[in-house]
Amino acid sequence: MNKPELEGTAHLLDELDKKLMVLLRDGRTLIGYLRSVDQFANLVLHKAIERIHVGKEYGDIPRGVFIVRGENVVLLGEIDKEKEDNLPLTEVTVDDILDAQRKEQEEKQEQQKLVTKALKERGLQLMGDLMTHDDMF
Amino acid sequence: MLPLSLLRTAQNHPMLVELKNGETYNGHLVSCDNWMNINLREVICTSRDGDKFWRMPECYIRGSTIKYLRIPDEVIDMVKEETIVKNRGREQKSGRGGGGGGDRQNQRNRPAARGNFGGRGGSKPGGQGGRNPPFQKKKQ
Amino acid sequence: MASSGDKGKPNQAGDQKEKKRKESILDLSKYLEKSIRVKFAGGREASGVLKGYDPLLNLVLDNTVEYLRDPDDPYKLTEDTRALGLVVCRGTSVVLICPVDGMESIQNPFITQD
Repeated sequence: MNKPELEGTAHLLDELDKKLMVLLRDGRTLIGYLRSVDQFANLVLHKAIERIHVGKEYGDIPRGVFIVRGENVVLLGEIDKEKEDNLPLTEVTVDDILDAQRKEQEEKQEQQKLVTKALKERGLQLMGDLMTHDDMF
Repeated sequence: MLPLSLLRTAQNHPMLVELKNGETYNGHLVSCDNWMNINLREVICTSRDGDKFWRMPECYIRGSTIKYLRIPDEVIDMVKEETIVKNRGREQKSGRGGGGGGDRQNQRNRPAARGNFGGRGGSKPGGQGGRNPPFQKKKQ
Repeated sequence: MASSGDKGKPNQAGDQKEKKRKESILDLSKYLEKSIRVKFAGGREASGVLKGYDPLLNLVLDNTVEYLRDPDDPYKLTEDTRALGLVVCRGTSVVLICPVDGMESIQNPFITQD
């Protein structure tokens, strides 16, 4: 094999047809079979699910085929089929995990509001996360 | 089969496009180019929080603002068939893609109703069809 | 799909592809003198009558109206607008273009099948 010559995204070719976890920049986790990659690390994920984690619980939402633009990917990891079956996490229904997620987000939001308010009172203003992550949008 | 070839194959198919800003666009792909710029028709735009919706007859989206696209399952099968036909004419160069199908089970492991991404899948209680409003609230 | 047709004459196919590549998939001439909605990188949105454009997507809009956002949540549009008049939009910051004609705010179209 000519593996040593491969650089950058070419290494992803080794992962083709494997089951991968993909973490996106917005925090979402996708799991699916990697069917294709290009020089920008754009990905094709097949039979993909979106996995939502809240604490020690998770839920999977079937999503089908994804074409992910490479620049939105934070991390790619191969799923170990043997370890996959005994996760230290419990699977719950999609509805339950979505409820849990909603709660978690609302709490975070409240927290954020407090912080913003406190900063404002001290003459500091941070414009949400829009300014800090300007490159994302 | 490169990601962009798959996208080209998906022309005239329904799809869901999520932008980096969290907005989603459901529509049929009219055309796309090498920068992933796309034209959609019969579009439904959903706001980031999933609380507002717009209908648009058509729209043009700059590729660089796309986070991901979700396309129907059958499109990937279409490309597979194409690659098999192509590979027949050539010598087998690498194991992937065309031939075996590797480790995966061949049938779909998904709930029946997927339909158009717009639709909320159907069968299941919450209706997990597409990336839809109720659970679209993602990060803040 | 163009990539699948390169069996016989790769050169020809390549040329064709080259041509396609240079021609934009967006024909803005059909929007000339019509109202279009434009979204920009960073989240601003505006609509106006398209007076001119170039291949880089720089636009000239007339009677332009900007749709203002909630200062506390820059992702939320409010009802507020402000008139901008005649403007030039920088192509590199244009994210989305759609015709105003036929665009309408609607109720959640996805809950009907529940």
